[in-house]
This record gives sequence, structure tokens and C-alpha cells, in this order.
Amino acid sequence: MFKTEEMEINLGPQHPSTHGVLRVKLHLDGETVVRCVPMIGYLHRGVEKICENKTFFQGQVWTDRTDYVASVSNNLGWAEGVEKLFGITVPRRAHYIRTMLTELNRITSHLLWLGTHALDIGAMTVFLYAFREREEILSIFEAFCGARLTTTAFRIGGLREDIPPGLEKQVRAFQARFLDCIEEYETLLTENRIWKKRTIGVALLNAEDAIALGVTGPVLRAAGSTYDIRKVFPYAAYAEMDFDVPTQTAGDTYARYLVRLEEMRQAHRIVNQCLDGLPEGPVMAKLPKVLKSEVNEVYHAIEAPKGELGYYFVGEKGGVNPYRMHIRAPSFINLQALPKMVEGRLLADVIAAIGTLDVVLGEVDR
Amino acid sequence: MASPRYSLLRTLIPFDIYGGMKLTGKYFGKVLRQANRGPKRTHVVVEYPEVAVTLQPRFRGRLQMIKDEQGEIKCVCCLACEKICPTQVITIEKGKKEGRKTPFPLQYDFEMERCIFCEFCVESCGFDSIILNHQFELAGYDREDFSHGMEGQFQNMFSITPVGHYSVASED
Ligand code: SF4
Ligand code: SF4
Repeated sequence: MFKTEEMEINLGPQHPSTHGVLRVKLHLDGETVVRCVPMIGYLHRGVEKICENKTFFQGQVWTDRTDYVASVSNNLGWAEGVEKLFGITVPRRAHYIRTMLTELNRITSHLLWLGTHALDIGAMTVFLYAFREREEILSIFEAFCGARLTTTAFRIGGLREDIPPGLEKQVRAFQARFLDCIEEYETLLTENRIWKKRTIGVALLNAEDAIALGVTGPVLRAAGSTYDIRKVFPYAAYAEMDFDVPTQTAGDTYARYLVRLEEMRQAHRIVNQCLDGLPEGPVMAKLPKVLKSEVNEVYHAIEAPKGELGYYFVGEKGGVNPYRMHIRAPSFINLQALPKMVEGRLLADVIAAIGTLDVVLGEVDR
Repeated sequence: MASPRYSLLRTLIPFDIYGGMKLTGKYFGKVLRQANRGPKRTHVVVEYPEVAVTLQPRFRGRLQMIKDEQGEIKCVCCLACEKICPTQVITIEKGKKEGRKTPFPLQYDFEMERCIFCEFCVESCGFDSIILNHQFELAGYDREDFSHGMEGQFQNMFSITPVGHYSVASED
């Protein structure tokens, strides 16, 4: 008389809790997810192809638009990749300022993740507090380079201009209160029973699977690995910085939450060190008028807020634009872990899993 | 690990919820006690159209051409900005003007709808003849509203974009 059957439903692409235009095709057996297929490509703009037709100087503006919540990190990856291709040495002061802004950017990215992820799960309040602090960092970016989101912050060979007067004071004012702000988020979430029920043991991913899937960043470190490119292959000024790599072993949503919160504290530490040890000197290296590449290829990876962000350049002889450019986007590769995390689990956990992966669709589709 | 008795206590008495409510209450009280436009501001919200927002000096707004003290256009048509622009939105027509040694731009077309406000053009200009001004209210109704030309046109490179014209207040 009765019969059951598997149902196929679409989550997204306009679902508010999928952070953009992610469509997830779910096969459901009652409330249990049997199969999960992320469908991507709704935001594809062909950034890699466009960059091949633009000069090394111009290409940077497209990196702002891949991971648009961490554009400074993307700018750093691009600039350092190109510098590696041409063998340019960047002045030390520029390295310090770059490191400082990138770490501030890590904080904004994690704050946006914290706010929206908590909002998806049902904790409204923390969103408001997270965005209050994010706003402050965005005005620091605005003071430095004139834009809040599409920063185009760095130039090949260093920075366009030195930090403006008053920026250091602005950053210090933010630094002074930020640790208390993290305490506030912790008050709202860490011990909250609803938060713990919704996150502990949800979207499990162990280190083995994470490595097999190529997952990097906080998602990998929450599973017990200590892989952090800032420590393993230091770039910018990270070799001179003193910071810890937070790890957890549980590999669930709660562990990732703890890792990201601790990462914000470490970022806070690095920013303080950058401000205290800011060396004097120029911020721009001496460059030839036109950058002409040789036959060469480089891969440069940085630790973006979401994981390993790699830029791969192939140069051709006398070319002013890259012959081939590829972005190893952490969101794109981390998203592969979604089926592993949710299959066999409840539908409501899919939302938590998407949130905890911290994907930005601009970067997934590029 | 919390002892079973402790966790039973925690289950019965919701400390966690109390802590969260206390924090919310603290900010509620703080904000309620102060007026938004008071001297010591705890509010983050700016009442935007009534109260002007403060922009940082380096803010990147719309592209604008500038003139020197004599009222002469500073641009000398070196086409550096046209070449560097990543989205190719600048088109310059080179020309001559009576009593001027350097070339003079007959046309300087700037299609704002595709400009991404990257400031590369300003950076490449060796004659400081263009800037990105502080205007950010740039909405318009159709594509023509975004193409800027030389003086004499409604939308020109020398004055700020007349948004007032499009606003609801001036429509009726
Ligand atoms: S700001 Fe950038 S996109 Fe706009 S005109 Fe200048 S170079 Fe072109
Ligand atoms: S770079 Fe400056 S001087 Fe040269 S064409 Fe552009 S605006 Fe004119």
C-alpha cells in the first residue's frame, strides 16, 4: 500500500544559506542524504583566460574578484607569483605591510565566515558583532588603498604607496579591542548548548580523507594536520613572525570553529608584530619599464584564509602577459569534500557543512 | 572533561544562555542610553543620506579630469591611461588647439559602466591630469548616463556626476 522512494531535490542556486550561487543536488531518503552532488559554474567568468590576455600588471584586478571576501590575500598571491617569475626582490618594509594587511584580511574573512555560518545554523546575534569588527578592518583597507572590497592593494615589486599617516593609529585602535571582541563571540557560541548540538560531530572529515581530497586550510587543520604554508614554505615576512598554528583533532564543525577563532587570535598577534617591527625604507623595488618574461614557469602558493591558494604562471619569451595562468583555488578544492561530509547524514547538516567549508563561489567558479 | 554532576548542573541551570543574554543586554543598554548623533558614539550605523559619510582620503571614486591654474586641460594625450586600463573604458581622440604646444584631447570618452575603479589610469598618468574623485553615488537609469565626455556634454569629465537629477525628489 505504501511505498517509499528516493527524492531528488535542489538546494540552491538561490538558497540564501549556500553563500552565493552554489547548487547542490541532493538525493534524499526521508531526511537522510543518500547522494550529494555540488553543481558549480553559475559564476564562471573565465578569469584565467582573461588574465592570459592582460599584462602581468593588469591581471591583478581579476584576482580581487575571485575570492572577493579575501581579496588582499589574492593580490598577495598574484604579486608574489609574478615576482617569483621575474626574480624581483621586494623591500622589507613592503613585506611587512603586506603581511599586516593579509592578516587583517584573514580576520575579515573569518569574521564573515563566523557571522554567516552562525546565521545559517540559527545564531543571529553573533553576525551583528562580527560585522561590526569587519567594518572597522574594511575602513583600514579603504584608508590604505581606497577600496573596501576590490582592493587591488599591492603592486608587482612592492606597494604603490607607503601606509598613509594615521593608519598605524587606526590599526592599533582596532588591535586594542579585538581580543575582547573574540571573547564576546566565544561567550555567544562556544559554550552555547544549541550551537554545540548543531556542530559537534557534524560534517566529519578525518585527516586521511582531507589529504586525499586535497583539502587545505582550517578544514585540514581541524582534522589534526599541522600543514600551514606560512610555516612550511614561508613567504612575505612570515619567516620573521612568531605565531602558532592552531589545530584540533575532532575534524567536525565545532573543531573548525575553534581553529578559525584561534587563527584570528594568531592573526592579531602577527599584526602586532608587524606594527612593532615595521622597518624603515622604500616600499617599491626598482623595476624595468616593461616586464618581459622568459620561458619559465612558477607555482607560488600562499596560505589564504580558506586554504592553499596557488598561482601558476607560464611565461613565454618576450611576453608581457602570462602564456598560461592557473589559480589553485582553495574553495573549489575544499568543496569536493562536501559529499564525503554529508552523505548518510541529515539534510539539516548540509547547511552546516556548506558553512563550515567556508566556500566563496566567486573562487569556486572563477 | 566535566564531571557528570557538573554537567547535570549545567543542564539544569542554563549558564550559557544567561551569558549570551547578558552580552546582548549590555549592548542594548549602551545603545539605548545614547543618542545616535551624540558626542560619544556607540552606534555603528550612519544615518546616511541625512548625515554625510566620511571617506578616507585615498578613496577611489569616479574618474575626473583636472585643469591647471589657467583653466587649461592638463592632459597631453600620451595615451598611457588608455593602454593601462584593464577594462579598456577610456578612448582618447588626439587633437591640436590654437596656442598650445602639447597635444590636446579633442575627445576623452570614459564609459563608467565598465570602470572597476582600480586607479591604474591615475597611477600611469605622468602629468597628474586625472584623479579618482570622492563621488560614489553613481547610479543611473540607462547606459547613456554612464558615458562621460568632454565639457559641454551633460555628463562630463570635469564635474561630478549630477545624481540629483535622477533622484526621486527631483522627478516630481
Ligand atoms: S579606474 Fe581602472 S577601470 Fe576605471 S578607467 Fe581607470 S584604469 Fe580603467
Ligand atoms: S595618462 Fe594622463 S596625460 Fe596621458 S592621456 Fe591619460 S590623462 Fe592624458
